[in-house]
Amino acid sequence: MVSIKRRLLFIAAAIFASHALPAAAQDKTPVKIGFHAGLTGPAAADGLSAEIAVKLAVEEANKAGGINGRPIELVVYDDQGKPDQAVPVANKLIGDKVVAVISAGFSAPTKAAAPVFQEAHIPYVVAIALQPDITKSGDYVFRVGSMGEVEGRAGAKLIGDVLKAKSIVLLTIKTDFGKTVAAGLKGAADKFSFKVVKEYEYSPGDRQFGPMIASIKEDKPDLIYASGFYFTGGPLLSQIRAAGINVPFVGAQSYSSSKFIEIAGAASDGAIITNVIDWSGKTPQEKAFFEAFEKKAGFRPEAAGSQAYASAEVLIAGLRAAKSIDSVAIRTALAATKMHTVVGDLSFNSLHEVQRSFPVSIVKDGKWQSHGVIEDPVLLAPPTQ
Amino acid sequence: MSAYVLSIVSLVGINIILALGLHLISGLCGQVSLGHAAFYGVGAYTTALLAKAGYPIGLTLPAAMAAAAVAGFVVGLCSLRVREDFLAIATMAAGFIFLGVVKQNEALGGEIGISGIAMPSFGRDGFVALELGVTVLVILFCLHVRRSWLGFGFSAVADDDVAAQMVGVDNRAYKLTAFCIGTALAGLAGGFLAYYLRGVSPDAFGFTASISVLCMVVLGGMQSIAGCIIATTILTLMPEVLRFADNYKLLIFGALLFLTMRFLPDGLGGLFALARRKEAGPS
Amino acid sequence: MKLIWELALQGLLNGCIYALIAVGLVMVYGLLRVLHIAHAGLFTLGAYVSLVVTNATGSLALALACSVITVGLSGIAIYRFCYEPILSRPPYVVLIVSIGLFIMMEEIFRIVFGPYGLSYLKPPLQERFTILGTGITAAELSVVLITIVLFATLDAFNRFTRIGIASRATVSDPQMASSFGVDIRLIRDMTFFIGSAFAAVAGTMVGVLNNLVEPTMGSVPSYKALAIIVLGGMGSIRGALASALFLGLIEAFGTTYLGTLLDRDAIAFTVLLVVLMLRPAGLTGKKT
Repeated sequence: MVSIKRRLLFIAAAIFASHALPAAAQDKTPVKIGFHAGLTGPAAADGLSAEIAVKLAVEEANKAGGINGRPIELVVYDDQGKPDQAVPVANKLIGDKVVAVISAGFSAPTKAAAPVFQEAHIPYVVAIALQPDITKSGDYVFRVGSMGEVEGRAGAKLIGDVLKAKSIVLLTIKTDFGKTVAAGLKGAADKFSFKVVKEYEYSPGDRQFGPMIASIKEDKPDLIYASGFYFTGGPLLSQIRAAGINVPFVGAQSYSSSKFIEIAGAASDGAIITNVIDWSGKTPQEKAFFEAFEKKAGFRPEAAGSQAYASAEVLIAGLRAAKSIDSVAIRTALAATKMHTVVGDLSFNSLHEVQRSFPVSIVKDGKWQSHGVIEDPVLLAPPTQ
Repeated sequence: MSAYVLSIVSLVGINIILALGLHLISGLCGQVSLGHAAFYGVGAYTTALLAKAGYPIGLTLPAAMAAAAVAGFVVGLCSLRVREDFLAIATMAAGFIFLGVVKQNEALGGEIGISGIAMPSFGRDGFVALELGVTVLVILFCLHVRRSWLGFGFSAVADDDVAAQMVGVDNRAYKLTAFCIGTALAGLAGGFLAYYLRGVSPDAFGFTASISVLCMVVLGGMQSIAGCIIATTILTLMPEVLRFADNYKLLIFGALLFLTMRFLPDGLGGLFALARRKEAGPS
Repeated sequence: MKLIWELALQGLLNGCIYALIAVGLVMVYGLLRVLHIAHAGLFTLGAYVSLVVTNATGSLALALACSVITVGLSGIAIYRFCYEPILSRPPYVVLIVSIGLFIMMEEIFRIVFGPYGLSYLKPPLQERFTILGTGITAAELSVVLITIVLFATLDAFNRFTRIGIASRATVSDPQMASSFGVDIRLIRDMTFFIGSAFAAVAGTMVGVLNNLVEPTMGSVPSYKALAIIVLGGMGSIRGALASALFLGLIEAFGTTYLGTLLDRDAIAFTVLLVVLMLRPAGLTGKKT
């Protein structure tokens, strides 16, 4: 009796083991990825768009087998756009045992969270925060959004080489993004032989630009470069046109929302930006993303959504390549990233800043359309320290 | 304790120091300020600049308090000329001017702010311990002030500054003292914040921040230190407690402010007083 | 010279918008000594109602009427349900209630209309004119005309109608007015209605000018209007108009010539602080 029981047990154990062994090799527990952004308060527009994009990327990755067979679980927290909220959020994500984190938060919260993740050795992929010091927190911090300085240089090449302008007026939005773009653009002005005849600054809360525009009329520039967001750029451009100034209007990816065109209306025609997305969407991957995002969100993806999606793509590819959830392995895999994402080919430099080119977009027939590309790996090399 | 709990607890401590500073100015001495965040900012920036230059925490924090107190003295002097609502608006103006100066000044980091402040040598847990210890000291100090002749003078000024003047209370000196002590505490809180965030950026010290400190003090019931501490703790923990309702978090926050003050105008302090009276029985 | 003229014009235009927003706040302050921050929420509400009705019906005039009535009645409701029961409390209690209300309103707008902001399907008042050598859009011209007409009407109303005189009497001494048979509650309801209606007009016009209505569009007016009522000497409608225009001019010239020194808000508030130090009761207030 006893021996039969033993035998049965042995057989049962053997059967179990034969099934369990591959199961042990193929761990099915979810891999947790953290995500934080400003989902309420003033940062909510970008935050929600990014959340939709990252959720989309995770869903698609899970359909395609997750991380080497393990499903991805996204842990989402709201940082309210505030730095003092970002520190507890970061610690909470660490407590939740996430293996890596994506930030679509603004600069201040992301800057506060970065040292926390660095000390906990958790890879941190930053989608849209542009404060220059963020990647200096350490080697676990990566940035998919191009630094303002680099985007400013791309803008300078667009102004001088492509649009052949000689004297421009610079309108700078008073944020870290605006200031760094302006610095990059002014630094490269000589190289592309144009002059910044005057620089104006305005606040993100401004919607009425009458006095500034009155003064620009006197400057008689052959081009206006304005950093800003769709909610400042839309009113600004329509007021510039209403005042009878008809020189080209150039800006950065932060106008890529279709809201920009909705607000400026007919005045937006011909506006040109250095973008993160190539609107012609040549690859099936980009087309699929545009369609899936629009279906989910109800509007075309803009810079925040696209860069958040690209961040998720980069991170998921890194996790797959790392073949483990060990933080050093993930970091090493991320650092070796060389891939095509919805925002184009990208890789990271030694500071883990992104290296990529800038598609140029123009408003034609009430839509952002593709208008060439600014490609110049040397000019567009991000700083290494 | 997990790192998460520690980070929440330190934030509560910072906010208590900040709110008690305003409690002295607005609650005890009756000078409603809509610009308290500016002094918080002065402290944070002083600390950040000195810490970046390599000075230890034992020097940066006192310097932060001193700098904020000097700023408080200047604004206090100006505030002597105006009263009540005019004073509130004047302090609000001071807040906007502070922000404008910082944002436009490259030496202060401008829009980009300052980052890369190292944790003090005794590490994160030591820092939290220090911060909580100081918070307790600040609480004890405030309790002491209220019972002292200084606190008596403050309340006299708060009740009716003209009458106080007539019975020989030098209300200018009292108002200035309240401003200096209260803003020094704000500077201390700012100093801790700079280490907590490992940096500073200007937008953390704007009008919204001033308003949220005032909410802590008023919700606590203006007169009550315990009320102020409890209200500050509740308001600081709220975003964490309400994580499940992320989309409605701010809405609930607004509703809480609105409903509490609408139906409990004396704040939490008033609630305690009510409870005490009930306990004492009908008299 | 042409620049100075254009800056002045643009400054006055911004000043007109400030005036339309601030007048309601001034009226409420004069009557109740309450800093009515939620007024900025009513301004946003007015912008949303106008935009939604215009996009649905195509008529801005109809939308404006709807907006004025909705916002006016909301103003009365805020007074009756939120402020009236706590008027005997210190002013900061009402201030916090008002701030709480404003936060709630902003969040409700965000939840209902989304965080991205809405635009007019067919932006109205886009025609351009040239007046005195300067180009101006129909929307900008409307703002100026509306401000002139509304302020003139309000002034005449306060001066020559029975209820207007009763209202002024209530501002200067509520108890006395009450004992002379003035229905204080009616006066207060009316004040909130008119003040909020002005905010609705201001919100509509700002929405049209920017072709953008956002949940947070009230946040700048919420504090800037406070500066205006202080500059104007708290409670004086003419003072508010004067100080709103003054502030518009200061900002226009300040941002152009001092823009690299301080930002727009800091310039405005530096002037405010200087005025307060020189004249602690405001520009038009009595000297103390």
